Amino acid sequence: MTDAAARTNERNQIFRDLFSGKTPKRVPISNPATQDFAIQHAGLDLAECQWDLTKLEPVYDKFCQDFYTDTYPGGSIRIPSHYQILGSTPIVMSSSGFMQHPDVVGMLAEEYDQFIASPYDCIVETILPRLYTGFNGEPGKVAMTLAKAMRAQSDDLAYLGAIRAKMNAKYGFATMIGALTEAPFDFMADFLRSFKGISGDVRRYPDKVAAACEAVLPLMIKKGTLPNPSMLGYTFIPLHMAPYLRDKDFATLYWPTFKKLVETLASMGQNVQLFVEQDWMRYLDYLYELPENTIMRFEYGDAKVIKEKLGQKHIISGLYPVTLLQTGTKQQCVDKAKELLDILAPGGRYWWQADKSIIHLEASGPVVENLKAVLDYVHENGTY
Amino acid sequence: MDSKYYVTWEEYLAEHPELEGKPQQAIAPKIEKYEDAMFTFIMDLLL
Repeated sequence: MTDAAARTNERNQIFRDLFSGKTPKRVPISNPATQDFAIQHAGLDLAECQWDLTKLEPVYDKFCQDFYTDTYPGGSIRIPSHYQILGSTPIVMSSSGFMQHPDVVGMLAEEYDQFIASPYDCIVETILPRLYTGFNGEPGKVAMTLAKAMRAQSDDLAYLGAIRAKMNAKYGFATMIGALTEAPFDFMADFLRSFKGISGDVRRYPDKVAAACEAVLPLMIKKGTLPNPSMLGYTFIPLHMAPYLRDKDFATLYWPTFKKLVETLASMGQNVQLFVEQDWMRYLDYLYELPENTIMRFEYGDAKVIKEKLGQKHIISGLYPVTLLQTGTKQQCVDKAKELLDILAPGGRYWWQADKSIIHLEASGPVVENLKAVLDYVHENGTY
Repeated sequence: MDSKYYVTWEEYLAEHPELEGKPQQAIAPKIEKYEDAMFTFIMDLLL
């Protein structure tokens, strides 16, 4: 067995222990920096590298060499080619090469009944043509555009997958797979009704919002289902809107279908990782109710209270403020890592991740050195 | 899922009598795989 294969086995065991509630050998670590960061770290052009993926292998090699991590770093679901082919408006590349998500309205308020009757039909017939120009026009042309876009995405994902396999073989990362889905309420807000639209709907048409969340729940479950639940991995669910809701609206409109989603995925034997965006401190009692060993990566909140209320049942992650890497000294960054390790690691159920992903890299700034120092510190001091 | 844009294997088979007597155990996973691939692609456009 090669050293890399042995490292993969060790790391896989650490994550198996973590996900099953056992105290692992040490605190596992995921580098929070993204593919965008890696390209900038290599000194290459962001837009060009996302279009010409052949430039990415040396980018990832340097990225994996320079920063400690137990899981494959980077990755991207926002590859520009198929969005360009489809004439995307909700996902566009900025002039600086970052893929951005402007606030869009894919579904009008008067289309709730159509959506509730058949969410998938409404998506195909009404929502996608509104958001993607490639879904409009002569049927033959639409079919060809769709075929080109699917082929482009399939080719790009296969290429990125091959790079990932090479890096896993060389650096011995844990071999985890993932699926992505959303809480039904967040799905209704994100690309369909927009932040402003759903905020008004909650007051004007709460019954329709609730019915739409129920109607789309089977699609969210299907989207979040892994090919084989026994594989090492998780379904990733980024949570958006709850902190912007009144308590009573959260209780009636957000929580019921979100809870069913997580419970259903867990009942299939899947791990679920929530990215608990913004501040959920007023909802900790709700989160406690979710199935045991739900992974919760927090953006903001009081680490001590979170550990006390949730740490005996669930797996806690996040909370490390990436902004400190830009503004703090190396010692301050390491001290913060130590503080969180002291609070969250005891008893297990802790996965070191940051409060958010690192996308932009200021070449002359301190982020690279500070990030290296923090990852090395947690690796060297996170042993149980 | 109740949709004219997502077809289960059973629904597909009912619409394609020419598959009678063919190795359905080999055909079904392939047809289902691409039905699901299209579903995932469509939903990813809204995530």
